[in-house]
Amino acid sequence: MTDLPASDIVETVPSALIVLDRNLCIRSANRAFYQTFRTSRGETEGTLIYDLGNRQWDIPALRTLLESVIPHRASVEGFEVEHDFPTIGQRTMLVNARKIFRPGDHAGFILLAIEDVSEERVARKESRRNSLLVQSIVDTIRDPLVVLEDDMTVVTASRAFLTMFGITEAEASGRRVAELGQHQWDVPALRKLMEKVLPENKPFENFEIEEEFPGLGRRVFNLNARKISQPGNNAHRMLLVFEDITDRKQRERDAVSLSNEVSHRIKNNLQLIVGLIAYEAKWTAEPCVQGYRAMQSRIGAIAQLYDLISQSSHGHVVAVDDYLREIAKTITVSLLGDTSDIKIEVKAEPLEIDADRAVPFGLLVNELATNAIKHAFPNGTGTVILSVAPVDGAFELSVADNGVGTSPEISAKKSERRGSDYVAIFVRQLGGSVVPSPAGGTGTTVTIRLPLLLVARDSAPHQAA
Amino acid sequence: MAVILIVEDDALICEMAGMLIHDFGHHIVLASDVGEGLAILRSSQRFDALFTDIYLKKAIFGGCDLARQARLIWPELRILYTTGNAITDSLKAVFVGGSHFLRKPYTSAQLQSSIESLLAT
Repeated sequence: MTDLPASDIVETVPSALIVLDRNLCIRSANRAFYQTFRTSRGETEGTLIYDLGNRQWDIPALRTLLESVIPHRASVEGFEVEHDFPTIGQRTMLVNARKIFRPGDHAGFILLAIEDVSEERVARKESRRNSLLVQSIVDTIRDPLVVLEDDMTVVTASRAFLTMFGITEAEASGRRVAELGQHQWDVPALRKLMEKVLPENKPFENFEIEEEFPGLGRRVFNLNARKISQPGNNAHRMLLVFEDITDRKQRERDAVSLSNEVSHRIKNNLQLIVGLIAYEAKWTAEPCVQGYRAMQSRIGAIAQLYDLISQSSHGHVVAVDDYLREIAKTITVSLLGDTSDIKIEVKAEPLEIDADRAVPFGLLVNELATNAIKHAFPNGTGTVILSVAPVDGAFELSVADNGVGTSPEISAKKSERRGSDYVAIFVRQLGGSVVPSPAGGTGTTVTIRLPLLLVARDSAPHQAA
Repeated sequence: MAVILIVEDDALICEMAGMLIHDFGHHIVLASDVGEGLAILRSSQRFDALFTDIYLKKAIFGGCDLARQARLIWPELRILYTTGNAITDSLKAVFVGGSHFLRKPYTSAQLQSSIESLLAT
């Protein structure tokens, strides 16, 4: 480096450099100076700096630097000069000055390095303005939020955050989220999620934390985080929002509690009815006992259907495919058991049924499937298929078995006729009709056409009931 | 004949379940809450099984609590839970090991089958 000629170095540095003698006349300047200030060597060298370019350098701040500061100090750095130059307009210049001496020359020279920082200053002002704007927006958001650096330290916290958690901006700023308060946010699972937000651009939502907070009591917060970037800026930060869901959570818990209480009472009442029927059956002649038992089963089926509806429902509709699978599972458990060779299969398209219609629909399926299991497989082996599919603008429910088929003897039995009566009642209630089975084939298939009843899930309704 | 403690907060249901289980040929003792059930279990009488409702009066999971404490008194005690409410995975997680479950409303046949398979373990 020391072998390089000083003039070459001076010509290649990007800052504008000028050398002044003790009378403040310009002795020399580099290429960057001529380019920045649109002047030439001839116009510059030998000229008093204040006279340069129509006296555009006759700036009070520069005079202060050259005449009052430099004489008393060896060097000055970062002296900021803001001026409207006739040739280049409004500019902010950062001036570094240093006295230099040659051997034997005690008067010395002044080296001025002038850097045009106008764009940087404009950007800084813009950034400050944006920052104030963002902060004022942030402060109007009711949910507490913080902006974090990539090391998880707080850059800024909203007023709502500071107020809610009773800390000052100074206490929050520069600290890690995990260190705030009584370390309530120091949760390994949360840390793991937060660590992925910036490097993997992986936002997260609804991370729930329930904790005791000083002055707040027990609270439930939903945490959401995402990466935020400023256009033209490579630095990324994380926005972490704390949604206080304590009240909502309490309402949900109250609703669940109420629902459990209501369910408990309903089921106990149904249990009482079933118990009374069982008690009556004890003193009833054998031919009637079968009827009492069937009644007990149907009451049990209604109770189970209500449970299945609550499990399969989304708002006011019930997913038919899930519902049929649950019915199949329930019948398997109650009538067949794990070791049975009779299986129930479900083939259903993603359809939905109004919750009000789900009970008669479920009772219909239950009745038909129970009949199939009771009569189709005298050797204890076979399959019952429950299916629902759209057919010609309507929907068809079919319960098919590959068993021995329906014999006239069974059809003529009084209890079976009653079962058929129930099927007819449910079909009527659903506004459907029984589709005659084609002749031939094995087993029994009962098909019910259910117009205007089911809708395809996630699509426009086929037709409302 | 087995000795079965029935714990149920609804007196009528408790009586009816007791009557049915008695008819199945077992000796029954009735209680209506966790405290009463534990007091009976701490007596010198030996029990083969506990048939308890899960939701007992103000104790939402009283039956689970009772079963857990009952096992400390009688480690070999067979447990049959019942409830009409939905059984969630978190609820199942607090069931004692080897316990059985019967959903309400249950028929006499379902109760008999459940008691038989419980006592067979």
